[in-house]
Amino acid sequence: MTNTWYLYLFFAAALIFAGLLGLLGKRNLIKLFIAIEVIGKGISLLLLATGFAKANILTAQALVITYIVIEVSLVATALALIINIYRHTKSLDIRNLAKLKG
Amino acid sequence: MILQTALLVGLVVFSVLAILLKDLLRSAISLAVASLLLGIIFFRMNAPYAGVFEISVVAGLITVLFILTIALTRADDKVRESKLVNWVFPLVFAAFIVVDALVMKGLMGKAPALAAGAESGTFGDVLWRGRTLDLIGQIAVILAGVFAVLALFRKRDKHD
Repeated sequence: MTNTWYLYLFFAAALIFAGLLGLLGKRNLIKLFIAIEVIGKGISLLLLATGFAKANILTAQALVITYIVIEVSLVATALALIINIYRHTKSLDIRNLAKLKG
Repeated sequence: MILQTALLVGLVVFSVLAILLKDLLRSAISLAVASLLLGIIFFRMNAPYAGVFEISVVAGLITVLFILTIALTRADDKVRESKLVNWVFPLVFAAFIVVDALVMKGLMGKAPALAAGAESGTFGDVLWRGRTLDLIGQIAVILAGVFAVLALFRKRDKHD
């Protein structure tokens, strides 16, 4: 069982790190949000794998489903924000957000 | 075990492609494929409910939302990405994979193990009886999302 757990943790860590690298390097707002989604995938894999390894798969499933529901709400709000930002700045570049006028 | 490893490798490859591909539509579709693979992995881990949610909601609904946003923001507006990232990303990622393989086993031994008894009952018992308050919280979160989208797309009043 430990070997399986190791395999899942290894890949979950890889997913989370790939998402973090994307967040650090990319400039397109939609790309940044895709990177956040990738981190989320890593987290849900981590949760379910730990539940699987510790024989608590039902609780882990309930947690993952809670996370997915929250994720949908988050995605809808964030994409609405991105559309609004695009309408204001006519661009998806994150650097344009630093030019604040007030 | 081999099939599971292949699925996990595919998941990581498609996730990395989703971040690295230049075309936004292609990266959204790569993300959907990654979700599909994750759903299959969940099924194989004896977690059918999480798998169904992952495939139907994340691979389906969220992809539709992404594609809708890409269409609404007109993908012809290119953002100039730093060229350095295309070189640095694979190198740093490969380095991390090596470190991950070396360190993860040691870290696993150090993780505190909580004493947990074996579960009994069905998934319905655990979800509805054990996590009742969470479910109320979920409904509140969904409503918050609905109100946030409504507030962001509200039309201007005539007085403004």
